[in-house]
Amino acid sequence: MNKRRVDLTVNNRAVSMMVEPRLSLADALRGELGLTGTHLGCEHGVCGACTIIVDSDPVRGCLMLAVQAEGAEIVTIEGATPVVGLSEIQAALREFHGLQCGFCTPGMVMVLHHLFSNNPVPSDSEIREALSGQLCRCTGYQGIVNAAKAVAARHMHQNVQPRETSQDHRE
Amino acid sequence: MKPAPFDYFAPTTLEEVFELLNRYGGDARVIAGGQSLVPMLALRLARPEVVVDLNRVPSLSGITEEDGVLRIGAMTRQARALASDIIGTKLPLLHQGLLNVGHPPTRARGTLGGSISHADPAAETPMVMLAYGAKMVIAGSAGERTVEAAEFTLDTFETCLEDGEILKEIIVEASADEGTGFSELARRRGDFAMVSAAARIRLDADGRCAEAHLMIGAVAPVPLRCDAVADALVGTQLTERRIRDAVRLIDLNSFSFDNAEVSLAYRRHIAPTLASRALAQAVGRTGGLRT
Amino acid sequence: MAIGEPIVRVEDERFLRGEGRFIADYALPRMVEAHILRSPYAHATIRSIGLDQALALPGVHAVLTCDDLPEGLPPIHCRIPTHGDLSPYLQYPLALGKVRYVGEPVAVIVADTRAIAEDAAELVELDFDPLPAVTDPAAALAADAEQVHEAGNLAGRWGFDLGDVSGALEAATFMVSDRFSIQRHTAMPMETRGLLAYYDVGRGLLDIYGPTKVVHTNRNLLATMLRMGEAEIRMIEPDVGGSFGARGEFYPEDFLIPFAAIKLRRPVRWIEDRVEHFAAINHSRDCVFDVTVAADADGIITAFDVKLVTDMGGYIRTHGDVVPSHAGASFPGPYRVRNYRLDAMTVMTNKTPTGTYRAPGMFEANFARERAIDRLAQKMGMERAELRRKNLILPEQMPWHVGTESVKRPTIFDSGNFPLIFDRATDAFGWSLPYQREVDGWKRGRGMCALVEPSGLGPFEGVRIEVDQHGRVQIFSGSSNQGQGHETVLAQIASEVLTVPMEKVRVRHGDTGIITFGGGTYASRTAIIGGNAVYSASISVRTKALDAASRRFGIPVEELDLREGAIWHGLNNEPVAKIGDIARMLMPGNQEILQTPSAGNIPDNDGLVVTSYVRAVSAGAAVFAVHLADVLVDPATGETRVERYMVACDVGRQINPMIVEGQIVGGVAQGLGGTFLEELTYNEEGQLTTGTFTDYLMPNIYDMPPVTSLVFEESPATTNALGVKGVGEVGPSGVAAAVGNAIADALGTSVGLNTLPLTPQRVIEAIGFEVGA
Repeated sequence: MNKRRVDLTVNNRAVSMMVEPRLSLADALRGELGLTGTHLGCEHGVCGACTIIVDSDPVRGCLMLAVQAEGAEIVTIEGATPVVGLSEIQAALREFHGLQCGFCTPGMVMVLHHLFSNNPVPSDSEIREALSGQLCRCTGYQGIVNAAKAVAARHMHQNVQPRETSQDHRE
Repeated sequence: MKPAPFDYFAPTTLEEVFELLNRYGGDARVIAGGQSLVPMLALRLARPEVVVDLNRVPSLSGITEEDGVLRIGAMTRQARALASDIIGTKLPLLHQGLLNVGHPPTRARGTLGGSISHADPAAETPMVMLAYGAKMVIAGSAGERTVEAAEFTLDTFETCLEDGEILKEIIVEASADEGTGFSELARRRGDFAMVSAAARIRLDADGRCAEAHLMIGAVAPVPLRCDAVADALVGTQLTERRIRDAVRLIDLNSFSFDNAEVSLAYRRHIAPTLASRALAQAVGRTGGLRT
Repeated sequence: MAIGEPIVRVEDERFLRGEGRFIADYALPRMVEAHILRSPYAHATIRSIGLDQALALPGVHAVLTCDDLPEGLPPIHCRIPTHGDLSPYLQYPLALGKVRYVGEPVAVIVADTRAIAEDAAELVELDFDPLPAVTDPAAALAADAEQVHEAGNLAGRWGFDLGDVSGALEAATFMVSDRFSIQRHTAMPMETRGLLAYYDVGRGLLDIYGPTKVVHTNRNLLATMLRMGEAEIRMIEPDVGGSFGARGEFYPEDFLIPFAAIKLRRPVRWIEDRVEHFAAINHSRDCVFDVTVAADADGIITAFDVKLVTDMGGYIRTHGDVVPSHAGASFPGPYRVRNYRLDAMTVMTNKTPTGTYRAPGMFEANFARERAIDRLAQKMGMERAELRRKNLILPEQMPWHVGTESVKRPTIFDSGNFPLIFDRATDAFGWSLPYQREVDGWKRGRGMCALVEPSGLGPFEGVRIEVDQHGRVQIFSGSSNQGQGHETVLAQIASEVLTVPMEKVRVRHGDTGIITFGGGTYASRTAIIGGNAVYSASISVRTKALDAASRRFGIPVEELDLREGAIWHGLNNEPVAKIGDIARMLMPGNQEILQTPSAGNIPDNDGLVVTSYVRAVSAGAAVFAVHLADVLVDPATGETRVERYMVACDVGRQINPMIVEGQIVGGVAQGLGGTFLEELTYNEEGQLTTGTFTDYLMPNIYDMPPVTSLVFEESPATTNALGVKGVGEVGPSGVAAAVGNAIADALGTSVGLNTLPLTPQRVIEAIGFEVGA
């Protein structure tokens, strides 16, 4: 099969891979790059487990072809996780029991990571909207929302400003 | 759920796009945001030999305004359109409609042109464009042509696009001083509607209805324009009661969608309510609803 | 103190970091991928299956069909006793001669990649003769119905006739009869199934990654089917993305993938995709109740008369008829009703086979009973809570023998003060406070459901605890974990008894290689039976450690104490020994504690290791719960919005209140899905029409109301040492009933809302269309 070379940046590292055009970006991240933290729950764009950040936007990894990621800057759960321990969002999810089986969790972390990067003190409705495309079968979302609200409250208390990432100001 | 094999091209100019579409004809499919096409590929319901990616053609994206006329590139992401101040202020109905389209990650990739060209009868954006009387700029190797939104969507999943053509741009004339309303009922928020309604209302200096538009979606292959309702409203002081009376003129006989989960009878039952809500919201946004 | 603390979960960090290891994350050298070719027909005779083109595709290694199955292979057995002989309805791993549902495995294609295997599947030539599809149980029972199996479409008919139902019906002052339908829906865990099998030919060892729930049972069944020794097969549970009863049963693939690995002498991996999952995983619910409930003039319920028809699908699976069995056995609920009659029929159709889904039979029965009781209250003019309260089983009547049995075990409620919990629930919710009936044109209604959820069923659980020289504690549990938090809960119990910190306790589970016998995870049993096995083993470890210290240091055992992970003597400032030191002393061959040599001078120290198998009390532990809901309904469109939801329950004793709450709230979410959204529908050809997440709607964040869990520890279970009761299924169990009652209350209707899911359209149908009004 006619494989294509794709060069991209994943979690701040330049990588390249050879992929068939039919391979989804999520499959490529998992299979070609070994980044198995991105999970596939439906492969048709509904469940949100595979959500990753592509060029500063949350995106369904199963609904992009790997070949479309040429030149893209991608952040996966592995890139949103500190070397040791947990990020603030991750720690809050643990504290508020925002996960059970953990399968949808990487997608949840990624949309919250994106939300809080751009909006450190989201309102309750902004939190819910950010999470609205993510399905969780275990928690009933209550712990996830409580975790996000707690992070927002902490940020408000600490007067946290939006993160000025290079990606956000690239254009 | 792995797609059948296909070849892939990512042209950077429209000329290249048309050259590829001409070369591969019916074997080629264009991919815009991919939010509908990629699932169809995964399910092998779509099996193109060639996928032509529009994502690297810069001229297809962007929102510009000149003299009250908005030009929206077909590849403009739904999320960008939703966040756009120009659209929020000049085309509020599009903003309202987009709030009901999918979820943040699907809107981040999904495009306006893709959604309009997909022509799902329950989709929000085609109905909004019909309500605005938008013009669709269609491009192909033979050049460009412009058609009215009403001529663009022909049937369920069917548009007037010929082989080798793509939707390039949407032109909408912004109308100052109007109020807009959008109301839909879906089983879950963000899903396709069971019935949707979109309304535009402009009042004259005396607070009477000078212009009205009402569309009903998800009840027939193409969203329905309800001119009888609009005619009944124009020239009147818009009260809740007047609206309630007017929506009885919705032509329920032109509804055709009927299935076990959402019956024709149910769609007919709720359409007037959703239409009333959209109209009332539109009037409210003109600041003119009188109870 | 670890038991009773809301400790954050030990498993969370790996999941949050994206470092969980789910089955699709496993790979082995030389691994190939399998794809199951499934029947496109609901009902058809197989004429031939042509493989030439598929086999010729580059990258394809094998295509296995029923012709490749071993001679004399038995069907997949039913692991649970049933009400009759269901053996004519069992399923073979690949269809033999006939297919009976869309999605039935027809062939296994093994290729370099999954994509190539799917390419090959399109090249297999299926020559099938379609037969009429039977999609409705009522039609299946008609005299001229197409027969799904030769043994007939009626697989079983059984029931109970307790007390004098006919007499009670004749004497009744009030009576309500109605039909209640619970739609086909199912567990739908976020992770699909998957297996990776590797046969080490030289060593004769078959390793299988991916099984869960009941790994020992599955291992033993596979050993029978493959004619292998049980210990020659090792099933290893990875991290599992949810089961809720459906995932982890023995399915056709659980034979086919190991079988392919043996045949090919290569590791074979199969990762189910979501569309397959819809067709292949056990479906559930799908039943119709005809209920008559009778009462006397004082509001005492005098009889339940119930007919129950359950659509079993195309085959009987490992669960047999446990779902209708539970529904039938527990139908009378928390009420002291002695006249109870059940006529249950299980019917075969050309649909995906069925099995358990969280609160199996209970979600269904509670809906039917509690909707009927609301009707009865309305007819009597009695307040709905009062009617229920009046009929609750009293504490002095415990243990309460319902008089029924399910899967050969009598239905007994071990303990509980139902009226007390009921009163606390209604008080906390403000049930009797007046509420505004209308808000912005929406109608508000209030509903409740009282229920008893059985928990802790199944014969036994096993655990082995090993303490090492460093004082680290390993728990090898025979149960499994699909996300509930067992690694935390079981560790808490050992941490408490052994007085070692949680960080030093690790829980291993779901692996037949680590403990000889295991029960598994189902029926809200792990905290109860698995927990008590850990408790029992921990106490034995403590006793063994104290005894060893006593012998080693010559101190009477009564003067020794285990605390802070060390052995202490009286009020001394220093411990006698740390628990790790004791573990070292007890290592085989260690000379520190001289033992009388046994025959052959084999040192008889066997480590600070204890294996404990705890037998379950067959009736389990009964959880009493009350669900309460306020729901807003738009009478114009039928839209509904659950405003607030409360589950009050008595769990006896909590091990981790945070996890208890999580089980309840998450359970309510699933219950709401089954109440409002989820439905597996079939067309007349037997094709599933809601086979993707676009059509099968699960609750998203906007569908979730605020849920309050009110957890009491009033009546510890009398059937286990810890006194715990299972909490896994209390959440979904009463949702449809409470919500249905609330909607009916809002609309003031005494008809309708009998058919789930309660879609906007069904809500409108309950009050009547006013088309074009």
